Amino acid sequence: MTKYWRSLDELNDPVAFKKSEIRLEVDAKRAVAQKAAGSSRRDFLKTFGFSVAAAAVVASCKRPVDKAIPYLVKPEEVTPGVANYYASSYFEGNEYCSVLVKVRDGRPIKIEGNDLSSVSQRGTSARVQASVLNLYDDARFKTPLKRGEATTWEEVDDYIGKKLAQLNQDNKKVVLLTSSIISPSTKKVIQQFQERYPVVEWLPYDAVSAAGILKANELSFGAAFIPDYRFEKAKVIVGFGADFLGTWLSSVEYIKGYSAGRRVLEKGDVMNRHYQFETGMTVTGSNADVRFPVKPSEEKTILTALYYQLLQAKGSMTVMAPASPVDINGLAEDLLANEGQSLVVSGSNDVHTQLIVNAINQLLGNYGNTVLTGRTLNTHQGIDADFETFISELKNKTVAGVLCWGVNPVYNHPKGSELKDLIAGVELSLSFSDRKDETTAACHWVCPEPHYLESWNDAEPKSGMFSLAQPTISKLFDSRQVQESLLKWAGEETPNYYEFVKKHWSEELSKLQNTNTDARIFWNDTLQKGVFEPGNASPELTYSEAGLGEALSALSESNGWEVVLYESVGLKDGSSGNNPWLQELPDPVAKISWDNFAAVPVKWAEENGLQNESVITINGVELPVFIQPGQAAGTISVALGYGREVAGKVGDGVGTNMYPFVSVENGARKFWVAGADVQTTAKTFELALSQTHHSMEGRPIVRETNFSDWQIDPRSGNELKEEHEKHDVSLYPAPEFKGHHWGMAVDLSSCIGCSNCAISCQAENNVQVIGKEEVRNRRIMHWIRIDRYFSNNPENPEVYHQPVMCQHCDNAPCENVCPVSATPHSDEGLNQMAYNRCVGTKYCVNNCPYKVRRFNWFEYVKNDAFDFNSNSELGRMVLNPDVTVRSRGVVEKCSFCVQRIQEKKTAARVAGRKVEDGEIQPACVQSCPADALVFGDLNDPNSKISKYFKNERNYHLLEELHTLPSVGYLTKVRNKKS
Amino acid sequence: MRKYFVGKMLRKNLPVFIFLFAAFFSISNTIYAAAESVVTDGHSQEEVKRGERFFKGLLPANREFASCVSCHNLNPVDTLNWNPSAMDLALKFVDKDFASFQASVMNPTGAKMEASHVNFKIAEEDLKTVKLYLDNLAHKGPAPAKPTYFNLILFFALGLLLTWALVELIFLHNIKWKVIPMLIFVGAFGWQVKMIVTDAIKLGRQENYAPDQPVKFSHKVHVGDNGIDCMYCHTTAENSKSAGIPAANLCMNCHVLIREGTHSGKFEIAKVVEANETGKPIEWVRIHNLPDHVFFSHAIHVGSGKLDCKQCHGPVEEMDIMRQNADLSMGWCIDCHRDTKVDFEGNGYYEHFVKLHEDLKSGAIDSVTANDIGANDCMRCHY
Repeated sequence: MTKYWRSLDELNDPVAFKKSEIRLEVDAKRAVAQKAAGSSRRDFLKTFGFSVAAAAVVASCKRPVDKAIPYLVKPEEVTPGVANYYASSYFEGNEYCSVLVKVRDGRPIKIEGNDLSSVSQRGTSARVQASVLNLYDDARFKTPLKRGEATTWEEVDDYIGKKLAQLNQDNKKVVLLTSSIISPSTKKVIQQFQERYPVVEWLPYDAVSAAGILKANELSFGAAFIPDYRFEKAKVIVGFGADFLGTWLSSVEYIKGYSAGRRVLEKGDVMNRHYQFETGMTVTGSNADVRFPVKPSEEKTILTALYYQLLQAKGSMTVMAPASPVDINGLAEDLLANEGQSLVVSGSNDVHTQLIVNAINQLLGNYGNTVLTGRTLNTHQGIDADFETFISELKNKTVAGVLCWGVNPVYNHPKGSELKDLIAGVELSLSFSDRKDETTAACHWVCPEPHYLESWNDAEPKSGMFSLAQPTISKLFDSRQVQESLLKWAGEETPNYYEFVKKHWSEELSKLQNTNTDARIFWNDTLQKGVFEPGNASPELTYSEAGLGEALSALSESNGWEVVLYESVGLKDGSSGNNPWLQELPDPVAKISWDNFAAVPVKWAEENGLQNESVITINGVELPVFIQPGQAAGTISVALGYGREVAGKVGDGVGTNMYPFVSVENGARKFWVAGADVQTTAKTFELALSQTHHSMEGRPIVRETNFSDWQIDPRSGNELKEEHEKHDVSLYPAPEFKGHHWGMAVDLSSCIGCSNCAISCQAENNVQVIGKEEVRNRRIMHWIRIDRYFSNNPENPEVYHQPVMCQHCDNAPCENVCPVSATPHSDEGLNQMAYNRCVGTKYCVNNCPYKVRRFNWFEYVKNDAFDFNSNSELGRMVLNPDVTVRSRGVVEKCSFCVQRIQEKKTAARVAGRKVEDGEIQPACVQSCPADALVFGDLNDPNSKISKYFKNERNYHLLEELHTLPSVGYLTKVRNKKS
Repeated sequence: MRKYFVGKMLRKNLPVFIFLFAAFFSISNTIYAAAESVVTDGHSQEEVKRGERFFKGLLPANREFASCVSCHNLNPVDTLNWNPSAMDLALKFVDKDFASFQASVMNPTGAKMEASHVNFKIAEEDLKTVKLYLDNLAHKGPAPAKPTYFNLILFFALGLLLTWALVELIFLHNIKWKVIPMLIFVGAFGWQVKMIVTDAIKLGRQENYAPDQPVKFSHKVHVGDNGIDCMYCHTTAENSKSAGIPAANLCMNCHVLIREGTHSGKFEIAKVVEANETGKPIEWVRIHNLPDHVFFSHAIHVGSGKLDCKQCHGPVEEMDIMRQNADLSMGWCIDCHRDTKVDFEGNGYYEHFVKLHEDLKSGAIDSVTANDIGANDCMRCHY
């Protein structure tokens, strides 16, 4: 049988590992006990005894008076106690997502996916889910600032207006430095601004750009654009260092397409095959059927070899192909067998590499099929070379003004520290940032913009695919939309961006449709739906081989250590560094939160006696080590997005900033370092590593099969189930559910481990952040954790992601041991948790074989020792009023989002109808970009969940214990070449 | 014999009793001392005092009309007083000049007020002092409600008693029959336990809670006398968790015309009108307060269960002052769920319960209660 392991220690010596795990746990407990020695259990009991007596006696005093303040004029669409959903658009850090914003009693509290969008297709990412917390960030600016002091908009307008006019008159250059702008209306505003001030130059800048692709396409197609990748149409997907399931370009859309092409439920379903060439183990690589750990410098060599090999196979080439460092014969075969149905993508920012990728896609006939050039992705517009020009202009003082909007180059550009002084030195430096950041700290003026949930906007993430963003709360602080600021300075007396957007849509976009003749109805209709997709793409562009020859001949040399800098799934480019949800989200592969780390190859670590948490230096920068199975030999991977200095109370000083390691080569930023100097040290650094927490003690948890085996027998890999069912006897009567029987299914084949569900659950269920120290103490509160297992060769293992939440067992081991009946079983198959009854014995935690119960060791709300979002009035505004905020000393766990179940059931009952299948969606299910989770009523034989449970691939965790879980798992299917 | 014992007990514990009484009075004295007056606009304390005497009816000596305080009470009262309280008046006129105050007192508009202010004679100078007194009151705020120490005193007295009994039993042996201190000990201790238990059970519950509201809104007048349906104002009861407190503009549907009430005259309705005009919402005092870990839904009970509002809220149509009718304890909820029958055939939702339908048909059961369909599951209300 395949051996599954979670860490290398466990693989090497399971028994010793187990012992050390227990020791660690005991140590952690002891440390906490010593720390808490100040107040012992006895003290607690004494205090408790006295306070009960006192409370009872003084009870004759009145309770504090609660006020109930109704509306003066109730808005028609608002019903107190019922949530409203507004369609909007998220666009931050080059990531677009069409969303629905849940607003309860005037407060946006949750982001959901919008199913009407054909871009994000109801999916979201962890970053999108966490964006609602950014609204309630203490680090936000409350007023405009002038050199750090609060000022008024009048003063700002007066000064900036005059200053701009003066610079314009003197013909001194002003640069409007923005992130990529996908809003057509905003582009119009900038145009208007530039017309008024011709000295203003607009420069889009991306922290992690796609300049390589843009430049390559400019050569191949004559236009700088990112094509539309259709992953769902591809039978063979080849990724070269592109983390397209994690952070690359439009990852939510790609996950949708990718997992749609891999869903095998019924006979006849087909599955794509995914090859991944990459350095570190990314989410994408962990899902690949065939994964090659390669050095970043080798990627182009392999691509070149592949190109020549394909040419040769097609008979149009006689030159010998250069040798590839890895065996790509199988890959070439597969690609040739699937011409027009394959897709090759590369995450490289090197123009030459991208040119070869273009050539391969052209050779395979993928253009027009899996890669569409008639529809472009607009989320990345930054051209790195332009920014370098800008820096040199700053240096020779030809730029007199800098207006920064949505960018933070002081932090995320390799020459950040230099930029800091340069920006501070110009005549007019201004930032529109809504919260503290490094660049804003260097600017003289701060004109804060509202959060996207407080703003009007529109977006065109892909050409011809429009969407709207609308405010869901009135502005919390004295902020003003940048568009209005620009219009004001351009001379408009009372700029109103809402009217501006509306006008643009009525005049320009309403022409693209003929459903609504009245522009106002068109506007209202689109605003309600959130998206407007007229559907007509431009014609496909013609490919030319321009620049290919040069690209093929320029082979890269490799020497010494190669360090890859990647965007982490949680923090991405680091702009949400002050978001505690994202900081605490364990990395999907390494399972480390609250730090970045150097992922080193297994063999090298062994040879040098390194362990996790040892410290090494890379070019003199100290970094803690994580031994990453699957890391290519001779390489190290480190995440960007950490090491913020001016982010706020949560983000400051977490991890190390790796942006200074980025270099600029051929006018494009290069996200890997060649020939790095790597030294070991004797130091150690503690990491919040949760990969081995909540262990299920080595039982067969993951079941897998190969696609070819599944085609022969869908039960393959799941033979154990039958074996277990033979022993399916119990002394207890079989549980009976008269009405509903809720159940959930997890398709392990679809789940890619993106961790969207963890944050979605956190937002929905008021799950508290506990900080690095407590995560180290194995107390992370997430109700849904994603276990990650490895198997086979540690040098290049296979990886499995398995979301585990409360299994809602019908024979639940936790229920029997509760001395106060705080966790009984419901009539609908839910394993209930009554917080108000729980006395905190933790027997249930110990008795749960799935380790899904979480104990509140401390009061995490309103506690200065846990100074995260729940320790401020503002941060607590994100709390869901439909879910109890748990206090110290009680156990909590996944409830299948019972508040949503009750809400929909109530609605059905009031309407006098049955609950429809799929109507109830727990938070994790609603926005899963991979559609890996299914929820429904097992008592309804026609429901989707019943079909999943009847599927041959379905099994339950630890079936042999006869706990009868209500959560089913579908075996992992890989499509390895047999 | 008995007298002797009591006397001895008193003698022995005299210092303790004295201390206790002294402590009690010192507490109450400090409370009164805290309420100092504020003199406004350079008017002397004397004038304010004089105004107070007029208000309270101590002046003028030969008065033929009712004193102000006889209608406009100074402290909160248990019984219903339709007239605006002194504090109400003070707040209303604090920002207005004397002329409008005078006009309002001497030339009342509205039938109710005309009737009660008839024969009202007071010199302008004196009325000015009344206004001063009221202004002073508005700044000072109402006198603090006296806390009741009865339970506390009783509890400590019982504690002393049982301590004495214990000391007597173990050390003093002054009483011949040991059974007497023993009985006293058991009695005192038992009473203390009873106090703790009853109060602990009541903790957080407030049956019959009927606080003063900012507007003297009478459900009796609106529901009982005028027969307005509950759902006319509490519009969301059928569809939302919350039944909803009506927005102030809803009141204006009728009160745009009806500006004077039979009991309260114009004063209370004017507050609602003012709220609509000034945009300052009315801050009602919440009566039904469930703990934060309880999620009750009106929609289930009213929208789907078709319960009568009265079943939980009691005879609202008879309540001038709204009060909490049930104790809203969990036992009260669960008892009702056990007995309440569900309209099983009339609602399409219950088609989910196939087995129960079969049982009903076959006659195995004759009805379905809320409990049978899981109304008493923990996670119905706690999540």
